[in-house]
Amino acid sequence: MSARPETSDDGDRPPAVAARGITKHFPGVVANADVDLTVEHGEVHALLGENGAGKTTLAAVLTGLYEPDAGEFVLAGQRHRFRSPREALAQGVGMVHQHFRLVDRFTVAENIALGDRRQPLLLSQRRLERKLGDLSERYGLEIDLGARVGDLSVGERQRVEIVKILHRGVDVLLLDEPTAVLTPQEAEALFTAVRAMAADGKAVVFITHKLGEVMAVADRVTIMRDGRVVGTVATAASDEQELAQLMVGRTVDLSPRRAQEPAGEAVLSVRDLRLDVGPAEAGQALRDLTLAVHSGEIVGVAGVAGNGQVELAEVVAGLRAPSAGQVEVGGADVTGAGVLSTRRAGLAYVPEDRLGTGLAPGLSIADNLLLTRERGFIVDRRAAKRQAEETIAAFDVKARGPSAPTGGMSGGNVQKILLARELRGTARALVVAAPTRGLDVGATAFVRGLLDDRRRNGCGILLISEDLDELRALADRIVVLYEGRIVLERPGQHADVTELGLAMAGVEVETGVST
Amino acid sequence: MIRLERREHVRWWHYVSVPVVSVLLAALTGAVFLVLTGFDPVAVYAGMLRASLTSRFGLADTLVSATPLMLTGLAAAVAFRYRLYNIGAEGQLYVGAIAAAGVGLALGEIPAPLAILAVVVAGALGGALWVLLPALARAWLGTSEIITTLLLNYVALFAMRYLIFGSTSLWRDPTATNFPQGRPLPEAAEFPEWGLTRIHLGLVVALLAVVGLWWLLARTRVGFDLRVFGDSPEAARYAGIGVRRVVVGVLLLSGALAGLAGAGEVAGRAHQLDPQGLAVGVGYAGIIVAALARYNPLGVPLVAVLLGAISNAGTALQSTAELRVPVAVSTMLQGAILIFVLGGELHLRYRVRLGRGTAAPATADQAATEVVTTPETPARERPSR
Repeated sequence: MSARPETSDDGDRPPAVAARGITKHFPGVVANADVDLTVEHGEVHALLGENGAGKTTLAAVLTGLYEPDAGEFVLAGQRHRFRSPREALAQGVGMVHQHFRLVDRFTVAENIALGDRRQPLLLSQRRLERKLGDLSERYGLEIDLGARVGDLSVGERQRVEIVKILHRGVDVLLLDEPTAVLTPQEAEALFTAVRAMAADGKAVVFITHKLGEVMAVADRVTIMRDGRVVGTVATAASDEQELAQLMVGRTVDLSPRRAQEPAGEAVLSVRDLRLDVGPAEAGQALRDLTLAVHSGEIVGVAGVAGNGQVELAEVVAGLRAPSAGQVEVGGADVTGAGVLSTRRAGLAYVPEDRLGTGLAPGLSIADNLLLTRERGFIVDRRAAKRQAEETIAAFDVKARGPSAPTGGMSGGNVQKILLARELRGTARALVVAAPTRGLDVGATAFVRGLLDDRRRNGCGILLISEDLDELRALADRIVVLYEGRIVLERPGQHADVTELGLAMAGVEVETGVST
Repeated sequence: MIRLERREHVRWWHYVSVPVVSVLLAALTGAVFLVLTGFDPVAVYAGMLRASLTSRFGLADTLVSATPLMLTGLAAAVAFRYRLYNIGAEGQLYVGAIAAAGVGLALGEIPAPLAILAVVVAGALGGALWVLLPALARAWLGTSEIITTLLLNYVALFAMRYLIFGSTSLWRDPTATNFPQGRPLPEAAEFPEWGLTRIHLGLVVALLAVVGLWWLLARTRVGFDLRVFGDSPEAARYAGIGVRRVVVGVLLLSGALAGLAGAGEVAGRAHQLDPQGLAVGVGYAGIIVAALARYNPLGVPLVAVLLGAISNAGTALQSTAELRVPVAVSTMLQGAILIFVLGGELHLRYRVRLGRGTAAPATADQAATEVVTTPETPARERPSR
């Protein structure tokens, strides 16, 4: 292992946080085992690990949500043990949670004042504005104090959370998977804010499982696996490959994959597709969209969320009828024919919303595997159970058994069940939306391998994703969707991120579109 | 400090022991009240058992009371378990009764099997018809079925009263001069009774409905589609299950079951359309039956018999010379049993721990972020099949 443990470097100021031997058990799980973590002032320190590695538990211990079973931590030279988040905040340690703790019906100002005992009984937005001073501006975290939180976008809500914590005067800020809900642009803005905070002398702990983010934002990174720390390294002295290996415990292949053979005949094509969701042209979710996916190729659809991706997937899958245009699957016209007919024509659909749309969370694995199968009137439960057992074994799914509900499983295992069902059939055309979103490195590699495997077997895949790295790693062609229209098409291996990004933002690109 | 900790595994005997202990605790609570009001709890409980379970006629009367409860219990169970809240079993029961009585009276003396079949079908259709409008409104307009079905209960009640008290309809007995009452059904349409008891064919209908419904929900594609819909309507849409069809189908089935209860009360018990005897809240009680049975059709008959026994015992106790226990005692016991059984539910899912210890994260969704993903954590709670 090439990890090079580091201790405090310049020594003139004690570390912001030094945790020693933190251990935390839950029934049946050791979430943290003898964990050490040192974070300096003025440092962005990434906490990297796969889902379930113990990152969030460690953060919860540091911020007083959990009491550790063993271990201690030293804060600015003093030993502490927090019994509640309030105590932690009082000592200058605050956390922005993955799931925001905001009251939708309250305004931003009210949310910031919420739980802050320094606030007067009667709230005054003007007063709060004065007290906040240049806090927002200094870190590029503009917020509208008068807006109702329920009306804000996810990125804006996150800014409110951060400002709320900063306003309490924290020195140590923990961010739990902060980019999971952000668009690439919003994530970039967040990185800028985080760097500004560090430059201001604050210690920022950035919890993530994304390697690219670690390299982009962190000075040092502590890698966790199975509840233990496996190393702390300076990002400048490491690379993504090394981090991935530390995190997963084995080598992971994240190299790009392309089609081996030229694409065959079209297995999925849409012509002049239009979908009206409101009046006039502004109400068109899809505008004269023409696209073909051939056997043995992956066509990537890039775009900022809300530019027609969901609508395209749903129209192709037969969940919605288009207002105009044509959908063909395997040469058969399935325009407006409905889900069942489209599926019978040979199309499988892996929706972005896995639990809730692709799978019913309260139903068992066995039942979920039947969801899109042709079934007789009598459900053969024994066969379903056997099939589920086979799937669990073949895909290495971590679950108690065929009757375990999918709702309790981790993202990677959920996606395995969903893909197992949709890829097993005879489908020649596949629509896959955000297949690796939220998955850890190991599961991501597994899912990409599966999709590549289907491509080799002659399947045509329409891959819809906001993750440009993913598209560039898998797609043979990439098209950019903007306001329901294809505005750019590029071969996968030559796709330039800047060019794609501009097209995604709606900037006119000179070179034409060939569809 | 008292803390609740999630159970890792629910053992099968918990499903038996928890309700049994709950009922015993309820009886204990009732005993306190009985002693305070000057009764001997042992004598009262013995009397109740005799009146409702341990004597032959007591048991028979209990089964007669339980019959409509089973059907309205099924009506609520089939709807509630898929998150369709049909509160209108009461009204659907009335309309089922009106339809059953009407068809029975209109057909007159025809061969008994035909008459009975016609009465049963009419009851089911009447109940289904009464929920049709709320079902369509829910499926196409998203109107809350809770409100619409509830309000239609009053419409049905007053319609039924009008037929007997406010008009000279087919249902009203023209020979009753003192007090308006229903016209007696022709003998052919009356449900046969079992021996000398008042147990009638309705019990068989109810038990057939229990088994049929269980089979439909647990073994067939219809049940599968319903489960998907109940768990996640979006997943149902994705899978190509017609969501509107499911909503209308479930509500119609629920209404039909409540209507069957009405037919049974007319053809099996009163032998006429009897507005006073019908409007005793059997439809609403069905919701309680369903909840206690955890919305499982197979649990419905047991709970229906239990509640039937209690209400029966109350009436019987009141008329027992040596005791003279007010009927309120049985109402109170019914309430106590409900509270304890519902409280017992908690013990199925959680264990109570005293003092501080490991585990039990401060906030549930905090722990969920990282811990819930491990296979050791318990399954999400749902009405099981």
